[in-house]
Amino acid sequence: MVDMVINQDEARVNVTWNGQNGDLPDPVYFESTDGDLRAMVQEAVQNGDVPGIAADPNANFTDFVVDRFRATGEEDWNKIHIRPKTPFGR
Amino acid sequence: MMEAGVVLDEFGDALYWHLPKERSCGALPDSVDLWSIFWENRENLSGFAHSHPGFGKTGPSHTDITTFAAVEAGLGKRLDWWITSGDSMVLVRWKGPGRLDYHRVDVTMEPNWLRTLRQVSTYRDRQGKNRRVRW
Repeated sequence: MVDMVINQDEARVNVTWNGQNGDLPDPVYFESTDGDLRAMVQEAVQNGDVPGIAADPNANFTDFVVDRFRATGEEDWNKIHIRPKTPFGR
Repeated sequence: MMEAGVVLDEFGDALYWHLPKERSCGALPDSVDLWSIFWENRENLSGFAHSHPGFGKTGPSHTDITTFAAVEAGLGKRLDWWITSGDSMVLVRWKGPGRLDYHRVDVTMEPNWLRTLRQVSTYRDRQGKNRRVRW
């Protein structure tokens, strides 16, 4: 858990990579595009800037998806999860 | 026919049947629930099997391959990826060196989940009749 102030138009970003999971140290704009988020997270993981995830210069988030969760009564802040995609087929 | 999938544990047994509402005869949609199953069971996971339409030899689509690579990158481990048609099956594994360099092997064995996977995929037999599903 990282202490941070998160405004209503921002979100905490959780990342999963190489069997590890962690939050970006800084909040991001909630409406950031999927492409911008993937690029941001990829750079952070490559540089070792995500607590809980070891630096990986080869990290590639091309086939990861972005899940967005608005704050609810139970959750105090918006959340964004970056995780592998899981579709199969065509 | 409706595509279906099953998550396999370290012993190769069925751990979770993936039968999303939105599945179709040509695809299994992206699913956060499936990812959660992969993640929560990552320590004792061996692979995932899914069905393709039709009969005869089958193989992974580009969507399949990029999903294999993404899931393995997220989990930090390699998995066995089984793909079955109505009457044959292949096993797909990463071969390298590239991120998307996977190869397939024809398999003749019939794991204990294969019959059920084909049943829940509701293949029609070669005469066009539906195969009965029994749970």
